[in-house]
Parts: sequence; C-alpha cells; structure tokens
Amino acid sequence: MSTQEGLQGEVMPSFMGGVPKPSSILKNQRFVLFILLVALVVFFSLKNSQFFAVAEFQSLLIDFSALILIAIAETFVITTGGIDLAVGTTGALAGVVAAHMMQPMVTSHNNQALILLFGTLVAMLVGAIVGAVAALLITVFNLVPFVATLVTYSAGAGLALVFSGGAPVGFNPEASTWSTTGIWIFSWPVMIVIGLVAILGLVLHLTRYGRYNFAIGSNQFAARVAGINVRRHVSSVYVLSGVLAGLTGMFLYIRAGSGSPIAGVTNSANLEAIAAVVIGGVSLVGGVGRLSGVILGAAILTVVSDGLIFINVPPTWIQVVIAGLIALAAVIQTLRRGQRRTT
Amino acid sequence: MSSEAKPVLELQNISKSYGSVQALTDVSFKAYAGEVIGLVGDNGAGKSTLIKVISGAHPQDEGRLIVDGQERHWKSPHDAMNAGIETLYQESGLAPDLTIGSNIYLGREIERKGLLGKLGFLNQKAMEAGAIKHLENVGITVPATKRTVSELSGGQRQAVAIGRAVAWAKHVIILDEPTNHLGARQSQEVLNVIKAAREQGLCVLFISHTLPHVLEVTDRIIVLRLGEVVKDAPTSDFTVESLLGTITGLTV
Ligand SMILES: Nc1ncnc2c1ncn2[C@@H]1O[C@H](COP(=O)(O)OP(=O)(O)OP(=O)(O)O)[C@@H](O)[C@H]1O
Ligand SMILES: [Mg+2]
Repeated sequence: MSTQEGLQGEVMPSFMGGVPKPSSILKNQRFVLFILLVALVVFFSLKNSQFFAVAEFQSLLIDFSALILIAIAETFVITTGGIDLAVGTTGALAGVVAAHMMQPMVTSHNNQALILLFGTLVAMLVGAIVGAVAALLITVFNLVPFVATLVTYSAGAGLALVFSGGAPVGFNPEASTWSTTGIWIFSWPVMIVIGLVAILGLVLHLTRYGRYNFAIGSNQFAARVAGINVRRHVSSVYVLSGVLAGLTGMFLYIRAGSGSPIAGVTNSANLEAIAAVVIGGVSLVGGVGRLSGVILGAAILTVVSDGLIFINVPPTWIQVVIAGLIALAAVIQTLRRGQRRTT
Repeated sequence: MSSEAKPVLELQNISKSYGSVQALTDVSFKAYAGEVIGLVGDNGAGKSTLIKVISGAHPQDEGRLIVDGQERHWKSPHDAMNAGIETLYQESGLAPDLTIGSNIYLGREIERKGLLGKLGFLNQKAMEAGAIKHLENVGITVPATKRTVSELSGGQRQAVAIGRAVAWAKHVIILDEPTNHLGARQSQEVLNVIKAAREQGLCVLFISHTLPHVLEVTDRIIVLRLGEVVKDAPTSDFTVESLLGTITGLTV
C-alpha cells in the first residue's frame, strides 16, 4: 500500500510537468513542410502560369512516383538506424535486367500487361537479391550499413553498365504509353505507386513490423531483450528496400520505354531519396519519423527540381538549391534533438 | 525459506568467459519463490554477466540452468521471458522513442481482432489501457502512457522499466542496479516495488552497490568476487562492514 502512495506521489507530478511534446513539434514540422510545398507551387505558377496545368501536374506526379518508393525504402532502413546508399543504383540494375528479360517477349507477344507484370517480378527479384546481399553483409559479416550498401551501390552501378554495355536496354515504346494514360492527372503506374505508398504507410505506423522497425532504431538492445529477432528484422528491411528499388527501376522502364543503366546514377537518386527522408523529418540516428513527412519531402524535392527547370534555371543550380534544403532540414533536426536533450 | 521447497531457479556450476576474460567460474545457487536475493560484488565481479546468462542475453559456456524444476537452454531472451523470467538490465531496456504503452508491450504487442490482426495491425488503444493497469498493479501511476519514454526523467524511466518487469514476470525478476542514478526518495520507491514483488510470490534477484539498500530489502545475499561465489548467507548474518569486507576480500 505504501508503495502505491510513494510512486504515485513522486511520479505523477513530474509526469504532468511542462515537457514539450515532440509529437506536436513533429506535427508542426509537417505543417511547415506542407506550407512550403504550397508556397513553392504558387511561386512557380506565378513565375510561369503554365506550371499550374494538368500536363505539368501529370509529369510532376510521374517524377514524384519515381522518387517516393526509394524514399520510403530509405525511410524503413533509416528508422532502424541504418542507411541504404544503393537504392538508386539497385533500381537501375533491376530496370536493365528486367528490360533484357522482357525484350524477347516484346518482339514476339503483344500482351503488354503480361509482359510488364513479368518484368515487374524480375525487377523485384533483382532488387531483393541486391538487398539480401546487403543484409548478409550487415547481419552476418557485421559490416556497418554504410559500408555494406556502398558495396551493393558500386556493384549495382557496375553490373548495370556491364549488363547493358552502357546503352539503354530493350525498346518498348508501347510501355511508355502506359505512363501517359490513366484517369485525370493519374497515370496507371502512378496510381499503383500511390496505392503502394498507402500500404507501406499503414505497415510502418500501424503494424507489428513497423513497431519493431522503430524499436530497433530507438534502442537495439531494448528490442533484442524484448525478444525481437533484430537480425531477421534488419535483414528483411534491406530486402524490402531492394524490392522497392526494383519497382522503381520498373517504373523508370515504363516511363522511358527502355531500361537505362544510368537512371539511378545520373539522377543521383540515392542521394535524392536520402534527402527526401531528411527533409521529411526522419531522424538519421533512427527511431523517429513519419511517412507523411517523407511524402512531403519527396513532393518538395520534385516540385523544386521540376519547377526550377520550368523557369529555366540551369540544372547545376538545382543541385545547389537541393543542397540548401537538405542543410536546412538537417540543421532543424539537430536543433530539435539538442532541445530534447536539455529537457 | 524452507529447504524442502522446490527452488524456482537453480544454477549449477555456471562458467562463462569473454575471450580471455573469465567472467564467471563455477557459480551455483538456488533461489526460491517469494525470496529477495541480493547479488553483490565489486565492479567487474561478474554480476551483470551472471544475470545475462539467467535471462538468455548471453549463453553460458558451461553449467546447468534449471527453472521451475526443468533444465533450460535459452536461445534468446524471449525464451527466458516465456518461462516467466523478467530482467531489468543495467543498460536501458526501454526504447526512448516509443510511448510508455508501446514499451510496456514491446515484444508482446496486442494485435487487432480478425483479418487486420492477422495482417499484423496493432491494437494501440488496448495496449495503452493495459499499460496503465499493469503499472498501477505495482503502484506506479502514469497519467499519459502515450508520452514517449524520452520525455521522462531518469527515475520515471526506471519506474516504467521495473513496472514492466514486475507486470510480466511469472517466476523471477532480475534487477541490475535499479537504484543507480536515482535520488534517495526514488530509490526508496524502487525498494518498495521489490517488496511488493516478493509479496506477489516472485523471486527477486537484486543487484546493487548500495549496501544499505541490499541489507534493507533482501532475505539472502550472494557475494561474487572475480567471477566466483565467495559467500551465500542470510542477510541477517551481515552488517554493512562485514558485507564490504566480504566483497573486497579484506576479511572473511
Ligand atoms: N561484452 C563483454 N565483452 C568482453 N568482456 C566483458 C563483457 N561484459 C563484461 N565483460 C568482462 O567480464 C567481467 C565481468 O563483467 P560484469 O559486467 O559482469 O561485471 P559486474 O559485476 O556487472 O560489474 P559492475 O558492477 O561494474 O556492473 C569484467 O571483467 C568485464 O570487463
Ligand atoms: Mg554490472
């Protein structure tokens, strides 16, 4: 009985004390991102009224879709406290291999849906294999994720070039018509990506899988002693990341009508994915993040890079602007973490 | 403790080394339900290593571990948890970015009913409500289990961690320096929770460097020195001075 009184007396008042709620700060940040996104759209539309048009939104959505899946892949990895440097190049490799495998079918069949479904499965498989290699290096050979995925990054970029001879693989112009047909501003592949984003959001925030993701990123020891199979979970996260990268490779194939070995490298998709995550407020040390933030981060990146092109800013400057965005987001993150420590 | 009663936990000749460091040598003892055992020893004596063996965090190299009359081989801490052994480690066992409720249920999540549950969807409401109940059962009141642990003070975190251990333990609860970094008053509350756990019929292994705490709350004290048990006797046999002497090896 006395224990009841004691802990109540001590714990309750300080529990109620004036600690700022990080959740409200997080919500705030997503609100700020949303305002920024709207402001950017308004800015570019004012600069050039043709920016605010169905055709432009259609192409914005396509570019957004090419980024969001690898950004989500990165989110799953980073919230566990890891990093995947290879998402872009894995996508390129998967696209090239899938294009190569689809090519005989393209010339002999004409059921595009079937061909693309086959290609999608191939791309997912290639991505899964690359992810499994990273997972093996990390969980069995105890490499840090940075080094392990540097290996898969280099290997993926190299293999994509070897496999393709440096030129786009396969030619399937009919595939690219898929990315211009659909409903209103949503083409078919874009709709599939949006559906996947919704599912992945539910998985990350409402399921046991997502819970373990955050638990591991927050305190790996705590996760392990709570009975979570950390090794298995971390492995699965890198495989998932590879699969999502593979799907992105397939998406790029459909958009271009061929598989490009440099899709992931020249667009520096690896870095853009990480940038979207950082701008979206996901903690790089793991344990904290909301997918809605990452969606906003990816949307902002897309609008900035497309918008700057639209108003004829040289591409070299776009990199600088994105760098500024990343720096800003990272500084905000560091300030917030510092604030939490002192409380 | 009557010696006819069946021990709830028995260690026979447990040894363990980390590479060239021999952390435990031939450790044997029995522990009974409703008994609080103090595990003391100098820094590096092997206390944490011993409890990691009992809790399945690290396997022993040699020796037998018998729980509730059955020899057990843990493959992971999960096995020990399933067998009713809960542990509060010296390192924090809480995930600071998760809510209090999520931490109480970490590794034991409640899923939703039906198809959603089969798909792994969690019933967060039920866990938050259950967490409040579990903590209140051991005398800890938390008005907001939706807060993340990172928002709590050290003492509050410790209260949550101990509450979780007592809530789930069926046989043994192991507390590795639970009063470390706590003020006098919060330490006293931890000792009260230990007494409450004893009243619930749990066996408590209490590790601490604060000897007056050990003398106050335990029934029996086991002294480790350089990985070996050098004394295992009822608490009433010790004073602070004699206990200190046994730990350092300057008397006996
Ligand atoms: N993970 C590890 N790797 C290598 N050696 C270790 C490890 N953990 C503990 N040791 C060594 O094993 C011995 C026993 O350590 P242990 O942590 O069990 O001591 P302890 O009694 O808990 O000490 P303290 O009171 O400081 O917590 C020490 O010599 C320590 O250096
Ligand atoms: Mg210790």
